Amino acid sequence: MSAPSTDIAVIGWAQTPMVRHTDKSETQLLMDAITDALTPLGLQRADIDFTCLGSCDYITGQAFSFVSNLDAIGAWPPKRDSHVEMDGAWALYEAWLRLQEGDIDIAVVTGSGRSSTGDPALIYPMEMDPYFLAPLGADPLTFAALQARAVIAAGIADERRMAEVAVRARGTGDVESLLTEEFIRQPLRRHDVPPITDGAAAMVLATGERARQLVERPAYVTGFDHRTECHNPSFRALDDSPSTRIAAEAAGLGDAPVEVAELQAAFTHEELLLRSVLGLGDDVTVNASGGALKENPIMATGLCRVGYAADHIFGGGNRALAHATSGPCLQQNLVCILEGRS
Amino acid sequence: MTRFIESTITFPYKRSLGPVVGAFMTALTEKQILGIRCQDAVLVPPMEWDPSTGAELPHEFVEVGPAGTVESWTWVAVQSEQHPLDHPFAFALIRLDGATTPLLHAVDAGNPEAMSEGMRVAPRWRGTRAGRIDDIICFVPGESVETEGEDTGGAAEPVTRMDYLASITYRNPVPEAADRATEASREHRLLGLRCPDCGRVYAGGRGLCPVDAIELGPECEVDLPHKGTITNFAIVTPVQYPGQTETEPFVRAFVLLDDTDVIIPYSAVIELPADEVRVGQRVDAVWASPAEETEEGGGMGGSWGSLLGWIPNGEPDLDDPDLVNRIF
Repeated sequence: MSAPSTDIAVIGWAQTPMVRHTDKSETQLLMDAITDALTPLGLQRADIDFTCLGSCDYITGQAFSFVSNLDAIGAWPPKRDSHVEMDGAWALYEAWLRLQEGDIDIAVVTGSGRSSTGDPALIYPMEMDPYFLAPLGADPLTFAALQARAVIAAGIADERRMAEVAVRARGTGDVESLLTEEFIRQPLRRHDVPPITDGAAAMVLATGERARQLVERPAYVTGFDHRTECHNPSFRALDDSPSTRIAAEAAGLGDAPVEVAELQAAFTHEELLLRSVLGLGDDVTVNASGGALKENPIMATGLCRVGYAADHIFGGGNRALAHATSGPCLQQNLVCILEGRS
Repeated sequence: MTRFIESTITFPYKRSLGPVVGAFMTALTEKQILGIRCQDAVLVPPMEWDPSTGAELPHEFVEVGPAGTVESWTWVAVQSEQHPLDHPFAFALIRLDGATTPLLHAVDAGNPEAMSEGMRVAPRWRGTRAGRIDDIICFVPGESVETEGEDTGGAAEPVTRMDYLASITYRNPVPEAADRATEASREHRLLGLRCPDCGRVYAGGRGLCPVDAIELGPECEVDLPHKGTITNFAIVTPVQYPGQTETEPFVRAFVLLDDTDVIIPYSAVIELPADEVRVGQRVDAVWASPAEETEEGGGMGGSWGSLLGWIPNGEPDLDDPDLVNRIF
């Protein structure tokens, strides 16, 4: 979807420390993230017109877990609030739509998850197709490995380039020694897969004049789209990501060059596939943040991509792309274009 | 030092299968694998709708396999409790003979060197089949179909439902405020937390003020009265589900504590039969005697600790029509 007539911009964001294991509850994480996002802007919770929280009951282990997360937004007097059982990047999409109604100015969106609460390798198979996949324990590593094999076969990736992605993302290790490691799911090695991370992020959006009053250089959302593919990877071309391509076209990626791209690539081959599908050249800085390979707070990972892309604009950049994904083998993909104005 | 509590949640799903998946599952009990025709293709596993257009597909089933060709695979060196085999195996995308799309399943190949793209595999069937994808235990290298154990034959009736038991173990931090409330209950104290910003008081070990979104530490603790008024109640007729221990209708009451704005929700009542409970009834807290103390606490569980519930104290009822509105 292209830009609405009303300007809508990201004006700030914050994330908790991203750790393997936190002692804090999800609600506590959100309290910290929201406070840290609002405070530098001189805003308080009472100034928020709309909230949308992204989280997942399956990760939390509690039905309606987002209800207790409302404690972090100070929902009294009653607020306009919504929830998506998706990454916070989709909460951002909903807030962006909501602000287009034009009657409110400020929205806060969050993504939060404590992956250490359970064993992701056992939880995610239960979220797969319940008839054909869940009963087999079809897990994320298996799907990622099968997609990696397809991407390698198509010549888009190879094990060396995948290791190079890992070294660049994490800023540690060397390619030669990584390539001598054992496979954990051939063709994936340990360095090709994401860490397990606990954490939350919160982002503040504002419309037109209000955004310009609050910050010097808002990161305007000029294009935003998300598309999904068939749920069962059996029916998809695993060496392609047509939903990413369509979302990027709809968001206006082709209208002008981007300087940076933050891609939600939890596996090394996903970054190479997404770069290829999006047609990003070497002149585009990809995942300077380290991306999901460095920190992967499930349900916040995608929102953090938008956050880092916004940081580029806040710092004087002109145009940035953020991508988020959901489901096995990049099933659903979201593309958000942010721009600064002189 | 934060305490963690481990809990296992199980979801016993009963899934209806519908006309397409149901036909596939019924055929599995006959050791047949069905695809569905979709334009020029044969989709396996079958879908009700064309994945590219969403159009409903006519129920034109095609038997495929039983053998097929491995299109892609990955080796599972360390299997999980959910996996179909209790030793290392391959997950593979297998294009069954006659199918256009590949089926994900396990291949029992012994070691990764035995796996290759293009290799031929055939199903190893369970002797007794329920109409589930795991009626095929796995695939094995070669063209020969196997059956494990005595073959008890196909289903007498079409398979229309599939049971799936999801079971997940979680490890969650217990907020310090919850532990402090439980500890206080051992001394028969009902602990509240007063928000320094808005003055509201919360019971039940919630360590934060949801209105001001701030954490409430030990400095906010206050002792709450042990006397109150029933504002509302429900009489629960227990439905027997796994874990339900109640067999007779029971009361859950909401109690407004005297001189406060605090509601103790969903409380047990003591020596108060279901047909005698009333809005406005005056009640006192009942605490567990040392003999009644258990690891899980009293009748109300959680941070209520040794609080068993509420007993009528003989005082005259309060007559306030607004009481009934107070459940929070």
